[in-house]
Amino acid sequence: MNPSTEKGRPLVYERLRRLLFLVPFVSRNQGLKVEEVAKAAGLSSAQLLEDLELLTLVGRPPFQPDDFVDIYVDDDRVFVDLDQRLSAPPRLTAAEGVALAAAAELLRPAAGDALRSALQKLERVLPEQALQRYRDMGRQLDVTVEGPRGMEALSQGIVELREVEFEYLTANRATTEKRRVQPYELFSFRGQWYLSAYCLMREGTRLFRVDRLSNATVTETRFKQPEHVGAARLPANSEAETWVRVQFEATAAPYVIERFGDEAKQVGEGRVEVRVPGDSERWVTHWVLSFGGDAVVVEPEWARQAVAKAAAAWLGR
Amino acid sequence: MERTERLLDLVALLLDARAPLTWSAVHESFPDDYGGSPEAAERKFERDKAELLELGIPIAFVPATDEREAGYVIDRAQYYLPEPGLTPEELAVLYAAGSASLASGAFPGRQDLAHALRKIGFFADGPLPVPKVRLELGALAEARDLPARLELLWAAINGRKAVELEYFSPHSRTLTQRKVDPYGLALRRGLWSLVGYCHLRRSIRTFHVHRIRQLSVNAKSPKTADFEVPDGFALHDYVAHWPWQHRFHEPVEVELELTGALAALGGQLFPGERSNGAQVTVTATDLDGLLKYVMSLGPEATVRGPETVKAKLKALALRVMFAHSAEEARP
Repeated sequence: MNPSTEKGRPLVYERLRRLLFLVPFVSRNQGLKVEEVAKAAGLSSAQLLEDLELLTLVGRPPFQPDDFVDIYVDDDRVFVDLDQRLSAPPRLTAAEGVALAAAAELLRPAAGDALRSALQKLERVLPEQALQRYRDMGRQLDVTVEGPRGMEALSQGIVELREVEFEYLTANRATTEKRRVQPYELFSFRGQWYLSAYCLMREGTRLFRVDRLSNATVTETRFKQPEHVGAARLPANSEAETWVRVQFEATAAPYVIERFGDEAKQVGEGRVEVRVPGDSERWVTHWVLSFGGDAVVVEPEWARQAVAKAAAAWLGR
Repeated sequence: MERTERLLDLVALLLDARAPLTWSAVHESFPDDYGGSPEAAERKFERDKAELLELGIPIAFVPATDEREAGYVIDRAQYYLPEPGLTPEELAVLYAAGSASLASGAFPGRQDLAHALRKIGFFADGPLPVPKVRLELGALAEARDLPARLELLWAAINGRKAVELEYFSPHSRTLTQRKVDPYGLALRRGLWSLVGYCHLRRSIRTFHVHRIRQLSVNAKSPKTADFEVPDGFALHDYVAHWPWQHRFHEPVEVELELTGALAALGGQLFPGERSNGAQVTVTATDLDGLLKYVMSLGPEATVRGPETVKAKLKALALRVMFAHSAEEARP
């Protein structure tokens, strides 16, 4: 990406900030390949070489040969003659601190104590004059990913490679089952937290919705993580076996279009129709109900009946 | 001399200096750059100084004493990043969070975040352990413009610059032009909200960032703030966590009952509300949102009171049943 096209801040600012990092970085990691330095600085190799060229012009008045930053590329490797002045990067700016703290906040449900202590240490390395600004700016970025209870036990199991037990509310049968799993990965997708784990009961890798599990406890049994645990499959809907067609009233249509984009088909009078996976009767029913009457199942019949039956329960019929 | 080069030279010069650098010494070091009239030269130096301060470089003016002349210094102890002393686990958490946010694409202050990660990783030896946690922040199908919008808003918020935006309301299906003083950004359940003072409505309003169609930041006097954020302003007062917390009406206390598989989950399903597991008392400022949420839990969740709210739930259920009854013509 060309830095000049980056929005928000002027080019000089970004470039200066990069260069003040680059010299100490090379000084600490002498002889890294151009490509590696570029990657660490978030640049392309061509941009890095351009930056290095500018750095060779940087010095200190009266600009005698010894007064220049002696940074050079030799046989595709980058070196700098130890520059005492730029031995470490500058401290974090208030904006950098806030961005990092806000990003870290996203992991709070899964991170536990390490996050709190990390943020305390982060605050300690902000320059004094930036501290107040950091605290003020902290009020400007507020991110929360609600994590259901039980996340701590799951993340502990993942980190320490220990099996975890919990009770799981099954999607279809509305009962809880005891499960014992080897937890691999936690992730948040479309506002829901999922656990990818090897289920010892089902003898296979499964996705669990964290909000459906309760009483998670870490056991003493260690497990060995298989070598090839790829990133878990997202709860995508492209592989569903059955589909449910749902139509929405004109009042709800704009919201549905926001979520589904082109998948939402116009069906006249401002209404739209979408197709959702019908693998879980319980999920489909509850999802349709969540629109409070603005969503209507077109087909199949079993889904229509399931919704009607659930609605009837509130009416005491 | 290019400006970046001059600024770097200035940093090098000041980091090297053993005594405060007088303005005349600075001026002599860059005779071509700080040329022209003395006033113009000094103004140019002031702009450079401001840029360096913005970058977090602690450049200060120290007054004269008996021993030395007045001049400029960089406080070295405040300049250099000290070893933050993060444990591998702490570093891993920050890295995982930062990388996940960067990878998600939709996070404001991406440049700041990338720099912060580089800096905290500076002292780390060896590769960083990556915890197995991922974040997918985009909950929307149409989020192409989101990263750029967030970046612009973040810059405007930090510089306290007003923005002009074209806002789409899915409720009225209209576009309105708004001038907004942006106070902050909040992420809730995968959606970004902008909170700020709306000059059209003359009050603090919340806007979903994905419903902003056009956006521009006031380009006049970029270094001068257009507004002040009022004391005591807090984002969470304006951005709802849960569907029943939108501020649409006066608070109403609603008694809910959870049965069957939901019986023990009150605290989990209604965080922050009073609950003994099966019975929950929710303070709602958006009854419609609450009832839809209750319905999304299925018939194992129901309203016990007050009567008006019970009746509302029944009316909604009746509507659903009617639309799905066998006799009714298909939509």
